Amino acid sequence: MDDEALIRALCAGEHTALKDLFERHAPWVAARLRQRLPADAVEDVLQETFVAVWRGAARYQSQGEVGAWIWGIARRQAVTWLRKHDRHDPVFEIEHADDAATSAVQRADLQQALARLGPTGSKSRELVRLAFVEERSVRDVAQILDIPEGTVKSRVHRLRRRLRAYLSGDEQ
Amino acid sequence: MKHDNLESGRDALPLTAHDVDLDRVWMNVAAEIWPEPIGAIERSARRLLGSPGLARALVTTPSLVLSWLLASVALLVAGVVATQTTGEPWIALLLPALAGVGVAYAYGPGIDPAFELGQTMAVSTRMVLLTRVCAVFGLNALLGLLATLFAPGIAGLTLGWLLPMAMIAALGLAAATSARSATTGVGVALAVWGLIVLGSAYGTRDLATAVQSDALLPLYALGTLLCGALTLFMTNGNRWNRGFLWS
Amino acid sequence: MVVAIAQKNVRVEGLVQSFGRQTVLDGIDLEIGRGVFGLLGPNGAGKTTLLRTLATIVGPKRGTVRLLGLNPAQAGERREIRRQLGYLPQQLGYYPNFTVFEFVEYFALLKEMPAADVRPAVVRAIERVGLADRARSKLKTLSGGMLRRVGIAQAIVNDPALLLLDEPTAGLDPEQRVNFRALLREIGERSSVIVSTHLIEDVAAACSEIALLDAGRVVFNGTPDELTLLGEGGAGDSPLERGYTRVLAGARA
Repeated sequence: MDDEALIRALCAGEHTALKDLFERHAPWVAARLRQRLPADAVEDVLQETFVAVWRGAARYQSQGEVGAWIWGIARRQAVTWLRKHDRHDPVFEIEHADDAATSAVQRADLQQALARLGPTGSKSRELVRLAFVEERSVRDVAQILDIPEGTVKSRVHRLRRRLRAYLSGDEQ
Repeated sequence: MKHDNLESGRDALPLTAHDVDLDRVWMNVAAEIWPEPIGAIERSARRLLGSPGLARALVTTPSLVLSWLLASVALLVAGVVATQTTGEPWIALLLPALAGVGVAYAYGPGIDPAFELGQTMAVSTRMVLLTRVCAVFGLNALLGLLATLFAPGIAGLTLGWLLPMAMIAALGLAAATSARSATTGVGVALAVWGLIVLGSAYGTRDLATAVQSDALLPLYALGTLLCGALTLFMTNGNRWNRGFLWS
Repeated sequence: MVVAIAQKNVRVEGLVQSFGRQTVLDGIDLEIGRGVFGLLGPNGAGKTTLLRTLATIVGPKRGTVRLLGLNPAQAGERREIRRQLGYLPQQLGYYPNFTVFEFVEYFALLKEMPAADVRPAVVRAIERVGLADRARSKLKTLSGGMLRRVGIAQAIVNDPALLLLDEPTAGLDPEQRVNFRALLREIGERSSVIVSTHLIEDVAAACSEIALLDAGRVVFNGTPDELTLLGEGGAGDSPLERGYTRVLAGARA
């Protein structure tokens, strides 16, 4: 059964469909969450996510991939978890701001943090633009900037850490 | 459409996080969505009784189910109307019968199809019985009190039914327990109450005698104690040693 | 140096049970440890009465019973035994309007499992008996075989140290019986599982030790292989069956 059919089954109250969705999507959602959160947090967030999928199946509006919808729920749950545990992941939160004012302020902070990475047009800024703003694949970025894919990955990783540090005020 | 980028690309990720126990996560998800959430009454009962098992046994009492309660309320309304129109204390005569039936149906081998399994449980059948019976009796007494507020002006009506009600409930319980049959409990309770009402009315020509006569009070008190003792005896776990079946 | 002596989970000595004037168990001696233990015998041999005694439903008329090292005649110890007990009666009554989940959860609560452990344990038990798809279905909508599996689920929900099953495979199809035997072997690794059954192949496939009851007495107690060896010249379609009939014939002679 394809994902959309499973969601329809969920709406009809068939709990067996949730197990199918879980088996299909939980592994990669877990992996992606694990990049930002410790293992026990991932388990809690995953649990909340799929309970929310069950309860909110009626709100899914065929807007594209079910997987993306589930990831959206997972991100919201991750932010909730972080706030509850008094922790902070600015990158997660900015992707997820619920109110316009907060996101505006956070975007201003982000602009400032980005400015610290270098002037517009510098290699770091280019990398950030391609990877985070244009959301291009590793292969594309490597091609455009003419650097190996491994380098792309490690630089993105470093930049993300620096951004996070700036945004949480750890680095001046 | 798949996003193949760094932020949402699945291809860039390992297949799953190896230190995340997905089986346990699934069990917890199922544990949340397969059952209904625990209701407020059961949560209070848990705190009150100190036992989640007893609390669950309480909220699943057959004679406390909504349909049963509605039927009881309907009967009491009829009783109140009858009392107000005829001047005879029907409501007071009705209450002991109602309690007798409710208590006999609270628990026991005659009414619980899984009773044998219940005899192997850490929460003993006797505890379940006593808890349910107290709840049923208490609720009936409360309903009775409310009902008599609507039928005032009849002397001795307010609480004259309470002691007979306790005795008939205890009698129904003792009979159901001894005979291991709810029907027997109901039958005995109704029959005895009927006899008392008619018997006491015969001499005095007044139907209300059963709930208004002071002379009967010692009888009711004694009856309650004896039937209570019999119930406790029949459900005593120490009789387990001699091959008996309530524990 | 202290050597720990392996505690037998079930110790029965001189057990006598009677109802009215009829003696149903006539001096049973048994010691049962971990593993799957089969209880065989014709109808009326006393298998159900023995299981009910071990399930603490009825106390012994005479003799002693010790379960998990505890004395079921003492109320407090009896309660502790019951927390670690799982029982499936031959006829299990059920509540038609309960769902599968509610039924298993009800008995998990009555076994005084720690409240926080109950719901995940119920999920696990339901999955182990293959009823996950019907977890939210009302019992009145289930077939006989499914109801039997619900019964098994409530028996195993608390991971019991002593699991007593009276004709558990009644109503299960062959594939379900295979799964069930695998489940028994798995549980038998850490607990004592006592299975009363008519089906010889259940015994052969799952049990490490068996007892044969006849007219309230143990007429054989040993391994399935030992029973098979006694089967020379007996009647029956399988070696075990031949051993069964020969031993019975010998006991009645």
